[in-house]
Amino acid sequence: MNASPEAVKGSHRSGGATLFALSARSVTKRFPGVLANDDVDFDLAAGEVHTLLGENGAGKSTLASVLCGLYRPDQGAVLRNGTQVRLSSPRHGLQHGIAMVHQHFRLVDRFSVAENVVLGDKRLSFFIDQDSINDRVSRIAEEFGLPIDPLAVVGELSAGQRQRVEIIKALYQGAEILLLDEPTALLAPPEVEKLFETVRTMAKAGKSVVFVSHKLGEVVDISDRITVMRDGKVTGSVGRGEADTRKLAELMVGREIDLSPRKAKAPAGGTMLKLHNVSLHRDGVAVVDNVSLEVRAGEIVGVAGVSGNGQRDLAELVAGLQSPTGGVITVDGREMNGAGTREMRANGLAYVPEDRLGTGLSPSLSIIDNMVLTRPRGLLVDRKAAGAEAERYITELEIKTPSPHTATRKLSGGNSQKVLLAREIFAQSDTTKVLVVCSPTRGLDVGAVETVHKVLDEARTKGKAVLLISEDLDEVLTLADKILVLYRGAVVHSADSNALDIEKVGLAMAGIS
Amino acid sequence: MIVGGYRIELEPRLKSPRWLVYVVPVVSLLFAFVVAGIFLLGTGHNPFTTYGKLIDKGYTSYYGITDTLGLATPLICTGLAAAFAFRMNLFNIGEEGQMYLGMIGAAWAGIVLADNLPGVAAVPVVMLSGAAFGALWVLVPAVLRARLGTSEIVSTLLLNYVALNLVNFLIFGSRTLWRDPSPFPDGQLVADSARLDRFGTTNVYPTLLIAAILAVFLWLFMRFSNYGYETSVFADSPNTARYAGMSASRLTVSVLLSSGALAGLAGSMYVVGPAGKVDPGLLQVGLGYAGIVVAALARYNFVAVILTAVLFAGLRVGGAALQISSDPVPIAIATVIQGAVLLFALGGEMFRKNRLRVRRIAGSPVRGAA
Ligand SMILES: Nc1ncnc2c1ncn2[C@@H]1O[C@H](COP(=O)(O)OP(=O)(O)O)[C@@H](O)[C@H]1O
Ligand SMILES: [Mg+2]
Repeated sequence: MNASPEAVKGSHRSGGATLFALSARSVTKRFPGVLANDDVDFDLAAGEVHTLLGENGAGKSTLASVLCGLYRPDQGAVLRNGTQVRLSSPRHGLQHGIAMVHQHFRLVDRFSVAENVVLGDKRLSFFIDQDSINDRVSRIAEEFGLPIDPLAVVGELSAGQRQRVEIIKALYQGAEILLLDEPTALLAPPEVEKLFETVRTMAKAGKSVVFVSHKLGEVVDISDRITVMRDGKVTGSVGRGEADTRKLAELMVGREIDLSPRKAKAPAGGTMLKLHNVSLHRDGVAVVDNVSLEVRAGEIVGVAGVSGNGQRDLAELVAGLQSPTGGVITVDGREMNGAGTREMRANGLAYVPEDRLGTGLSPSLSIIDNMVLTRPRGLLVDRKAAGAEAERYITELEIKTPSPHTATRKLSGGNSQKVLLAREIFAQSDTTKVLVVCSPTRGLDVGAVETVHKVLDEARTKGKAVLLISEDLDEVLTLADKILVLYRGAVVHSADSNALDIEKVGLAMAGIS
Repeated sequence: MIVGGYRIELEPRLKSPRWLVYVVPVVSLLFAFVVAGIFLLGTGHNPFTTYGKLIDKGYTSYYGITDTLGLATPLICTGLAAAFAFRMNLFNIGEEGQMYLGMIGAAWAGIVLADNLPGVAAVPVVMLSGAAFGALWVLVPAVLRARLGTSEIVSTLLLNYVALNLVNFLIFGSRTLWRDPSPFPDGQLVADSARLDRFGTTNVYPTLLIAAILAVFLWLFMRFSNYGYETSVFADSPNTARYAGMSASRLTVSVLLSSGALAGLAGSMYVVGPAGKVDPGLLQVGLGYAGIVVAALARYNFVAVILTAVLFAGLRVGGAALQISSDPVPIAIATVIQGAVLLFALGGEMFRKNRLRVRRIAGSPVRGAA
């Protein structure tokens, strides 16, 4: 083990003499069968927002856990203000002012916010002065822009609110360095914006923040510095202003990534999918409200909107999983009202739902068995044909799996999405005319995002009519030839992609027109 | 759990090694015999000689094994019934009652129809009638489950008591076609053409072959048919089944009815075999409930049900024989062994999926603040 700070390697940042608030020197951490961190160097300056960027499994959480004292490195050292510290536990880390907010929250549901915040605080005497604690919690909340009711029961809070409790707790415990592990994973876009404000406020107050993320799009603005990891190693580190998403993507994936816009290269053909004043009322509320739209062969129509504005119901109406309470749905010239999902499919419609593992795929069943899920099957299931097909797509789409007999739940998000796309888009490509695709890249690594974009673009080129429903505006802007905005179940804005006013789209998404 | 500075934890295995599938049941069985052996010692019996006798009377002697196979025959069917429902995460606890209804239905056909049927058709018709009655007995729980989501566990269990009283009523409480006209309360015998001959002087009937073939057929059918495929998708993820356009209520009802039919078949095997009538003696045997145990031991694998049914039946037969041997052992011991086998088999399952880890606790234990 490297013992003294003098003996360890220098920082990758030039300038030499800077004293960093927290550093990792040649940190190596092994888990059975994986080298999670391989000779990692990392430097965090005081008052800095430093992003740790990398695909799933790159080793970010492991590094953060080493830095906060949860894991002890197999080799290498952790330095606090230039002096080596041997952190034996997160509590010990806290004594050095280091706190981590984990990907999975560690709060007691039955306790109030204030009780959770002071839980484990040894400074408190046996009798707790409830009022002064509530006061302190409120003060921290106010100072850092973390609005929360100290008396609320944690079990009743949203993910975003729980995260605030975790951050308040860290600050209450006197953290100078906060490690936030994938803090945006569970947040809606407005909550993300709020979190970023908090992060900026903390940095201004002299605290240092390590911001862990695998989302390339969100990190550039917030970060003073971005360090990229891949396969347990640091592949690069860039300061503010030097960051460019293309370069970062390449560092993350290890090859050049093309996420540039893809648009139709040929004029669209005849109308394949048509919705005319389609509505769905549930419990007296119009969850889909008078929607009319058309998708022609060879084009992608994108439906943007903040999550929870009727996207899922709209998709299920088109896919035949729900019946509209009003209006007409036409597929390839045939009125399909009241048709079930099997009839819809028989008429050339394929559907990629947002929830890929719990809806689009049967998680415990093999890739082979999942290939036949939405096919007509005879009395016996033809696994021979399905097996050959599975093998073909595993090669073609580079699906990483031990074998076609592997259960889909054992695959990573990107690979299970590829299985789903293979079945819905490729396997029946001669009979499919309309594709309904929902949030196809949610939670995926950049490399997989690129594949998905390529697949959808190819489907368009082959003359499919694609309805892309996504909460990710960037994705819609990248792929769609026509853009609609869904707000409270209604289409509140529509535009061609070449005559687009992004500001208007943003306002429409927020319900302002 | 913390014991003297060591922390003992169960942690999930990333991969269960293949050999564990075979080793765990064997070790579980050994443990069960050790535990029951302690009971035997406590009651003044030599465990080894007792086990020796148990194995002889249950499995290795000619009449032992044939009695066991005879008892295992309907048990295979109730085991298949429980396994069939469970594979779709449906808990049919009503095999007992469905089996009684199968007996009633088979006896009805054997008394009323059999004489008017050509000889070869009599037995199949009688057995199918029993299966149909068993299926009908689970119809209401099945529809309630499919339409309203009512727990089938409670409804099928309650119907067991109704079925029990129904048999008592038919034989002891009233004069129906099921009851023999003689003053002594007993079931009326079915037509001779509705009965099968046993093999030689044993208690084994050709129904054993039917049960075994059925088990293998079900295994193949559920593995390769579209119906088997749809049930496994539904069991795995109901949302996925809905997405693929499968009808949840159709699957639920058909699976429960099939399960009931299998249990009903068990009852009809009594009628075409040893009993030849609605036999109140069957009420004491509990083969319906035992079927649930047999299915659990077989880990809901249809072919393995044959083996576990034979194992279980042998414990019954051997246990009963011990009672009347020269050094009588209470029948309760056999029951203890059965219970211990089940408990250890289920416990063993836990060890197949998890592993035990013993760790030294370093320094002072970290109190969980987080
Ligand atoms: N506790 C653990 N036990 C075994 N393997 C682990 C553990 N934690 C992480 N790993 C493995 O180490 C690698 C890096 O994981 P992690 O640090 O969580 O990545 P990231 O946070 O970048 O997604 C992955 O291959 C992961 O499977
Ligand atoms: Mg992580």
